[in-house]
Amino acid sequence: MLRVSAAAEAAGVPSASLVCEGFVGQAATTSVGLGMPNLPLAKVPGHVDVQTPDELRANVLNVTLPEVIRHLLNDPAPAVLDKDPPPDEIVFEGGFEEVNRFFYENGWSDGLPIVPPTVEKIGEFLRFTELAPEHKLGTLLPDNRAATVWNVAINGVMAGCRPEYMPVLVALAEALADPAYGVEHSGNTPGAETLAIVNGPIVRELDFNYLQGALRDGFQANTAIGRFFRLYLRNVAGFQLHKNDKATFGGTWRVAMAENEAVLRKIGWPTVAADMGLEAGANAVTIARYTGGDVIVSVYGDSAERMLPYLAEAVTRMNGWQLIFTVGIAQGTLRPLLVLSPILAETIARSGYGKADVKRYLFEHARLPARQFEAYYGQYTNLYPAKRSLNELVRLGRAHPVFAQSDDPGRLVPLVEEPEQFMIAVSGDPLRTNAYTFAHNGMLGFPTAKKIRLPRDWTALLRQARAR
Amino acid sequence: MNDSLWLVVPVAQRAAGDWIDDTLAARAAEKGLTGRLDLAGRFPRRRVEVIRSADPVAQCNALYLRRGWTDGLPIVPPAIARVDDMLRFSARPREAVLGEMEPLAGLATVERVAANAVMAGCRPEYFPVVLSAVEAILAPEFNLRGVQTTDENVTPLLVVCGPIAQRLGVNGGFGALGPGWQANASIGRALRLVMHNLGGGWPAAVSLAGLGQPARYTLCLAENTAQSPWEPLHVELGLKPEDNAVVVQRAESVVNVTGGLEEIASVMGSLASAFSLLHGGRPAVLLAPYVAARLAAAGLGKAEVKRRLHQLGRIPVEQWRRSWLARELIRAERWPDWVKQAAEQGAIPAVESPEDITLVVAGGDLAIAQHAYLPSWGFPSARIVKPIELPADWAAMLAEGTRP
Repeated sequence: MLRVSAAAEAAGVPSASLVCEGFVGQAATTSVGLGMPNLPLAKVPGHVDVQTPDELRANVLNVTLPEVIRHLLNDPAPAVLDKDPPPDEIVFEGGFEEVNRFFYENGWSDGLPIVPPTVEKIGEFLRFTELAPEHKLGTLLPDNRAATVWNVAINGVMAGCRPEYMPVLVALAEALADPAYGVEHSGNTPGAETLAIVNGPIVRELDFNYLQGALRDGFQANTAIGRFFRLYLRNVAGFQLHKNDKATFGGTWRVAMAENEAVLRKIGWPTVAADMGLEAGANAVTIARYTGGDVIVSVYGDSAERMLPYLAEAVTRMNGWQLIFTVGIAQGTLRPLLVLSPILAETIARSGYGKADVKRYLFEHARLPARQFEAYYGQYTNLYPAKRSLNELVRLGRAHPVFAQSDDPGRLVPLVEEPEQFMIAVSGDPLRTNAYTFAHNGMLGFPTAKKIRLPRDWTALLRQARAR
Repeated sequence: MNDSLWLVVPVAQRAAGDWIDDTLAARAAEKGLTGRLDLAGRFPRRRVEVIRSADPVAQCNALYLRRGWTDGLPIVPPAIARVDDMLRFSARPREAVLGEMEPLAGLATVERVAANAVMAGCRPEYFPVVLSAVEAILAPEFNLRGVQTTDENVTPLLVVCGPIAQRLGVNGGFGALGPGWQANASIGRALRLVMHNLGGGWPAAVSLAGLGQPARYTLCLAENTAQSPWEPLHVELGLKPEDNAVVVQRAESVVNVTGGLEEIASVMGSLASAFSLLHGGRPAVLLAPYVAARLAAAGLGKAEVKRRLHQLGRIPVEQWRRSWLARELIRAERWPDWVKQAAEQGAIPAVESPEDITLVVAGGDLAIAQHAYLPSWGFPSARIVKPIELPADWAAMLAEGTRP
């Protein structure tokens, strides 16, 4: 909404943005990133969802309306954005504990000790990219700050990365800066956490864990790169709790997940990166935001036909309010992710199923009654307040035709618009028959993949780095 | 050997993230103040600054003075630990924004208010009062922009009401206007430092008050409820006796009066405060307990006292017509209608209505009574009541004690 107001103001049209009280701070910070720090905000006291019509009416008439009128009659003050210190400024000198306290107190750390980003340490990281330190990878809202190779290295050092992770970090920053990813939405109230999926030979070269415990901390590459991502969101994009990160609960950052490419090759399934359109075998990262997930334990059976019903049922259960990302405020953006342990993937593949066949199966069998689907967007939430039926929405061109195949409110409808909107990865304990299903926060943006660019003398550099 | 002080930077950023000190440094340069404020605008642009020195407290004071961050008196360095002590006395998150502070629209966050309260010498348990006072001056009807930038010498008058006044030792008795009481001295000073550092009211740069006044350092007192014959101020204004609140209004000066209602009325009806007729406003009368008791014994309530003051305290119209203001500055049609009507009847009261007078029983109970009259300035008429929010475990926290 603020983006609309910013566009209107830029075009010389007065605006007033209605903002619930709890969001005024976020709106102010967001408008900074939009380059219009003084975007006029009209406060609605409290939160509209819990007010009676009379209370809401009184609040709007007494508080909101006068502000709207004032804003429409006055020009917002011009933007004056504060500048960061020069990138190579030494901001602090002191011992390890002092550096940590200084970074923490100034909001630059997540509360765990950081590795002090000394010029020397940053230099070690810079050797692992051919890009110049000042090279701009993109611009990150809400702070509207440039993502540069230099600030990638700084946050990589702080997160506890090794210098040779630098190519992965650069690719992550590029993915973050891709408009399709929608970094500016990272502070929304459901509070999704990003999962980075790593593909390519670099998984082995950097010792990513893609075996047992693939989603748990304990391996430096997975852990430190996951932490880097959240620090980068904090320090470069500018997301901070109690300010513009409005996650109601949030969660800890996720460790990066690497795929088991040996198994994928063996069963002839494409990697996630290949599904995302990158060349097979490429080093790549794919990022997407998930609000949560659950393990699917002890999937029993000796064939795809025996295993898939349980998996489809679990994927269906994982998607409730998220269905508003299929039909509703962010139509067609839901991308549920299912992670299979290698033994499950191999068993399913042995039945003749390719990855596309599994997606097709989920599309056809991970379904729920239309009336329940409608309840999620029109009844339990008010996220799509028009209260229209799926059939009406299809007729209006606001839902995919698959949701209007009969008038029966008990008919089963899919979770997504088409099979390809499911994502499947293979990782985890090779010999345990468990899977994992992730709840995707669709409206924030799309899963985004970037190729990892290695420096020319990668092999030699890597050997040197590992010898240290 | 150097010691370190870890300090919360006590000045304000705007919603855009820029610091009001950049504006202040420019104004200070234009006004030729850079000799005194040679470090204006020069400080690290982040939440926390570390000062290292053999004597970091002295170093902090020297730096803050030269950056323009003090009222000229030494300050208590706003060390993180002291700011945190202060914050524990509020349930609000440190990042919460109380409002944009005029005239430079600095964001008054709870944490930056706390930093200024530390600097002013507040004890942590005063913090709820400071927060309410800040909220009061942020109320639109306080007209903080006007107060901060006018050529008048106006300053906030802060009356702490309810049981909290006694708990915190806010003095309403002998010497209520000071000096000598930590709460009166530091709470009022905190409000001034907040106006200075978060609103940008730098004297002679942004604040163009002709003379200023000593009450701009602090003007904070309690009512002498123990010796008042009448209901306390906050009860008169609609709160319950057990409620705690601050009452804030604009005070142009503090004029001492010795005697009774007649003497007070004579000051109210003098030309010295005639300028406030132009805008209306709500003056305050600090009435000595001895006189209050005598009036009450004669059967007078507060409303009747105010009515008498309104009746007796009038400027004779001839005197008013001869005044410099009426002759030189204010065109006849600019005076409000009620002033013109009163002039037709021969004398002009200090305020439009008796209810505009704020009556506070304060001071010692000497028989030769000392009162004060505090004329107001500016529009709109303001008498702001802000309840004080106490933390849930307030009593236990007080009992536990805090650092001095």
